[in-house]
Formats: sequence, C-alpha cells, structure tokens
Amino acid sequence: MANDTSADFVVVGSGIIGSLTARKLALAGASVIILEAGPRVTRGELVARFRNSPRRSDWMSPYPPKAWAPHPVYQPADNGYLVQAGPYPYPAEYIRQVGGTTWHWAAHAWRNVPNDFRIHSLYGVGVDWPISYDDLEPYYQEAEEIMGVSGAPDTGSPRNKPFPMEPVAEPWAMRRVRERLAGTFPVVTNTTARNSRGYDGRPACCGNNSCQPICPIDAQYHGGLAADAAEAAGAKLVANANVYKLEHDAAGRVVAALYYDPDKTAHRVTGKTFIVAANGIESPRLLLLSASDKFPHGLANSSDMVGRNLMDHPSTSLTFDADEDLWLGRGPQSPSSINTMRDGAFRAEHAPYRLDFTNISRVDGATRALIADGVYGVELERRLRHSAARELNVKNVLEVLPRPEHRITLSDQKDAMGIPKPEAHYSIDDYTRKGHERSKDDFIRIAALMGGSNLRFSKDGDFANNQHICGTLSMGNDPATSVCDGWGRTHDHENLFLASTGILPTSGTCNSTENGVALALRTVQHMLAEQAGAAKPR
Amino acid sequence: MSAHDVNALHSVLQSDGDPDPTRRRLLAGLVTAYTASLIPWALAQPAPDARRGAFAAVSAILAGRQSLDTVQATRLYDALVADDPGFADAVVSLLALINEQHIDPLQLQKTLDDAHSPLTALPRTIATAWYLGIVGSGARARCLAFESALNAVAVADVLKPPTYAYGVYGSWSTKPA
Repeated sequence: MANDTSADFVVVGSGIIGSLTARKLALAGASVIILEAGPRVTRGELVARFRNSPRRSDWMSPYPPKAWAPHPVYQPADNGYLVQAGPYPYPAEYIRQVGGTTWHWAAHAWRNVPNDFRIHSLYGVGVDWPISYDDLEPYYQEAEEIMGVSGAPDTGSPRNKPFPMEPVAEPWAMRRVRERLAGTFPVVTNTTARNSRGYDGRPACCGNNSCQPICPIDAQYHGGLAADAAEAAGAKLVANANVYKLEHDAAGRVVAALYYDPDKTAHRVTGKTFIVAANGIESPRLLLLSASDKFPHGLANSSDMVGRNLMDHPSTSLTFDADEDLWLGRGPQSPSSINTMRDGAFRAEHAPYRLDFTNISRVDGATRALIADGVYGVELERRLRHSAARELNVKNVLEVLPRPEHRITLSDQKDAMGIPKPEAHYSIDDYTRKGHERSKDDFIRIAALMGGSNLRFSKDGDFANNQHICGTLSMGNDPATSVCDGWGRTHDHENLFLASTGILPTSGTCNSTENGVALALRTVQHMLAEQAGAAKPR
Repeated sequence: MSAHDVNALHSVLQSDGDPDPTRRRLLAGLVTAYTASLIPWALAQPAPDARRGAFAAVSAILAGRQSLDTVQATRLYDALVADDPGFADAVVSLLALINEQHIDPLQLQKTLDDAHSPLTALPRTIATAWYLGIVGSGARARCLAFESALNAVAVADVLKPPTYAYGVYGSWSTKPA
C-alpha cells in the first residue's frame, strides 16, 4: 500500500450529505477524512464548460466523467456505465466530483409531509419509516439554516421555527400562473436552497436561469460549498480517491477503506467509524463490492436488502402555449408548484404527486424544434419569439413505492478501473402509472385556465427521471427487511453508518436531498452523543 | 435563374483562387432579383470570395435577417468547411437552386425533401450554426457561439442567455416590456 492515513471518522463521498456529515463531526472536534472518487472542479470552470457546450440542454455536459471515477452519461452517446437490466430503463444521472451531484440541481429543499413517514399504517402501501416527522423536524431546520432555505409558509410540513429567509421573488410568469389558477389550484413559491438575500457570504439570486447545470454566483447552496465548509472545519478531503472496498476484522467491524488513485495505485485508510455517503447507487455498489469470506453477499447485506427498493420520482408533463406572453427564463429555473396532491386517502390507490412549473428558458428547445421542422427565413425568428414567450410546461413528480425487485446490483461488466459496474433493475408500477393518469386531469385544467393551445403531452408511457435516487440502503427497525436502523447504522456492522438518500425507505413526493441531509445530521448527533456517553437525541 | 446565369455563377466561382485583393465583389453579383428581394442588404455586402459570398447569401435567407455578423460568418463557414470539404460547393448549389426556382424559405425544406435532394441536410446545418452556434453533430459537435448565437440575439430585448445575470434581485418579477 502506497499510503496509510487514519482518522476517527472516514467518510466515503464528498457530496452535500457526506460533506455536511464530515463538517458536523469536524466541528465537534473529531478527526475526519473524506474520500472522494472524483476530481476537484471550480465553479468558474463549470460555467465556462456550460457556455462552450455543444449540448446546452444536456446538463451533464459540463460534468464529463473521469476514467478513474466514471459516472453515467447518455449524450452524445450512452457511456454504458450504469448497465440497464430493465424491464424499464433507469437512466440515473449523478456526478462524481468534489461536492457531488448538487453542483447541478434546482435546489428544491422540501421536507416530507408528516404522513409520508407512515404510508403503510395509513394507506396500506409501502413501508413506515422507523422515525417520525417530529423526530426529524429539528434536523430539517438545521439543514435549512446551513443551506439557506426559503419557501411558502404552508405547504403541509409543519415548522417549529421560521425559514432563515423570505421566499425568493416570484417571476412574472409564475405570478400570472398563480393568478389565473387561483380558486382552482393554489400555486406557491417553491421551498429552495436559494438566497433571497445575502446569506452566509453568498449573494442573493440575480436570475441567471442556469441553476442547472451551474449557478454562476453560488446563490444556491450545493455540495461544493459543503465540501469547502467541511475542509474549513478541519476535515481532510482526498480527491481522486475511488474507494473500491471496505475491509473488516474478524468481529465484523470495518477497519479500512481501500481506494485507487487515478494511476490505480491502491491506498488504505483506517478509521474507527466509517460512513458511506456515496449516493444511492455508488453506496450499495461499494457494500456489494466489499464481499468477503465472512460476508459473501457484501457488507451490511445479511438481509439481502442492499441495493433493493430502488426509487426515484418519475415525471410526465404537458407543454402548451398560453394565451399571453410569459417569457419563461427570467429568474430562477424552478420557482413554483402545486402541492395539494402530496397526501390524502387516495394514496391507498395511486401515487401522490407534486405539480411543478418550469421557468427554464424555452429558447434553445424552441429553436431546435423549429429547425427540425424546417422553418427558415423571417418565420424562424417570429415563431421562435412566439414560443419563447408563450410556451409553458407543467410536470408531475410522482411517488414510487419500494419494491425489492427494483434494485442496483453488480454487473458482470467492469469499468475502466476493472471494478464491476452498477446495474439497474427497474420498472414503473401501476401505482405510479395511476398517479400519472390522475395528474393528466390537472394538466388539462391548468392548460384551460391559461388559455392553452397546442397541447403536447409527454409521450405516452415515457416517464422522465428526476435523479432523486433513494431506497437502496433503506432504514428500518427490522434487520430482516432493512439495511440500517433509524440512525443510519448498519444492522450488521456496529461502526459502519450510511448517510445517503439511499436510506430513505419511501420516496414521498419531494426531492430527496433535504431528507438525506437532515437524516445525516441526525446520525451525526447520535454518533457524537454516543461517544460522549450522553443521552441519545430523539 | 436561367441556365446561363447558373453557368455564370459557377464561372465566377471558378475564378476564385485569384489572389488579387482588389477583386472583392459584391454579393449582388451572386443573386437574382428574387433572392435579392429576400435579402436586400446583400446587394451592397462585400464578399471576400464567391463561395463565402454564397454562404453569406444562403445564411441570410435561412436566418431571415437583414444583417449578419461578418466575423461570425467567417468562423462558422471555416468550421463547416472543416467538417465537410463538399460544403462550399453544396452551398453554391443551394443558392443556385433558390435563385432558379424562387423557393420561399418556408418551403425550402419540403422542396428539398420532396425532390430527395442531396442538399436536404444543408439548411438545417446552416440554421443550426447561426441560431444555436453549434457546428457538427454527436461527439464532433462544437459550440462556436453562445450569447451571439442568433436565438439569443432574437430575444435579447427580453431574455438573457442562461448564466448571464438577468438583473438585480427580484428584477424578474415585473412584466416583460
């Protein structure tokens, strides 16, 4: 081994969850090493890459994978990293670089609604969480104060303290949508980690409308900032360190993380406690890769649940032309939504959902569509302006239920480092499809209220993916049906914790990031309390 | 355009290697009255050579704009020629066809498609270069323009290209002028 390092805590993954976990541990005085598979990249580089990209609507184009830390990309061609076993494709996107996938997100930072934690008890579907909304509430608040979250006052998630700032100013287009839908649909400003004022040294939003793939001014929070904060707190971050195996001792305690550097030289890092925070696909992959004679099915996998219950949020959508000029593209990309279908007795029958309005500029998409249609001459510019002004899009964000057959496994194909690739087994079940059918009624009513014409539904049977990977490391009270407990501790290994959206046992209807961050902050609180011999937090 | 005119156009083009810098010609020499009616400014536009002149004329017809940036034209042309050595002659042929058949830009693609013309892909290639700033496809695609791509220019009175600040906080809340 070329290099030996050691720390109290070894965190695998420097994304927003891993980095905020490391930060909180380091602030408490612990020694922490973060191992990140990918490279360091600066915000300035990412902005330049986006502006120079020949695929501006492919938000992964500024984030090309490195050979030593591949991640899936699908344009200009599928790089084949995430092997698709079907029957329905799961083309997940994530980013292996310092700071992880939230370099590129819409900064939605929703809490669950309380009933999301009890859907089995209340509606007879899915599973209950091992913790309640009230258990998580203080950690939601902690996450929101770190990230600088704001939102509408009442979206079904009770709060004990106010948001740290006012909601972000509403774009004109969203105001018109809100006004014209009033009385039928309440349209509210989204809960986002986006500054409505200077906060924590970062400026207020100035409407660059490139939240995805990169906010050029850090007005929205992201994992790169979290990684910076972890390092500032004293954590040691090793980039380009692709962890391929966790080693354990005879008692089943994890003792070391083995990683390859870009030259495929192996390194060994030892620690007292290990936290896998490498997202909902790479985390189960690492546990499965760590199989040994003692644990032939991988670490934390005596239940055979590692990688199972893969969930996300599929979306279908409607695009139409409103009867007034709205000009999407002014202000942040994803400002407003309808939240009335997140919970209700109907959850016994079909998926709940949020309805999201995009404010992403229509200019590039309309241009491509017009050129594809062979529209040239003065009509090209005239129609381009018409579409850019009038086009509106609403999509659903549908819950997916946990199903063991939906899973991440190890492929028999290997990546450039000789490590088995992840393989996705996925489908869209009737519960989710029925939610989609129900939401089409809403789409049509929304279009009618906006004077919509030229209605274009997303292709029947096609569900877009939202990259909210969860479920693959599910937490639960029963070691036979879950991977970790409500604190994120694996049932099988006393000093191995999981901090990831993968531990969410159900997907709910909101983006998984804030749930993942809040759970991780709660996990850290537990670890610190345990170390101090103090009473455990709720 | 008569057959004679087409031959004249090609003969003009054949003289292209002429090193005499005083032989800059006007685009007016490359277009007919019909084409000139689509792009009246072209009558006075200088062309460094006939092939670039044909590209400028076709670009203006497809873009539907009365003026195009000449530096951008040079960059796009050079990139398109680098991708396809037959590009320059194809553009000349397309201009000749538009001249000859008096094709409305809105009917151009259908006309080419219906005729199974070898020029079918050409208008989209040129329009994509000007409006999206993109030349090439797949892994060979590259971006030559972003904020100066015509689709950004066409809406610049209302929208900023993504990553460019719209304005001070909250300025997007007002009705677009």
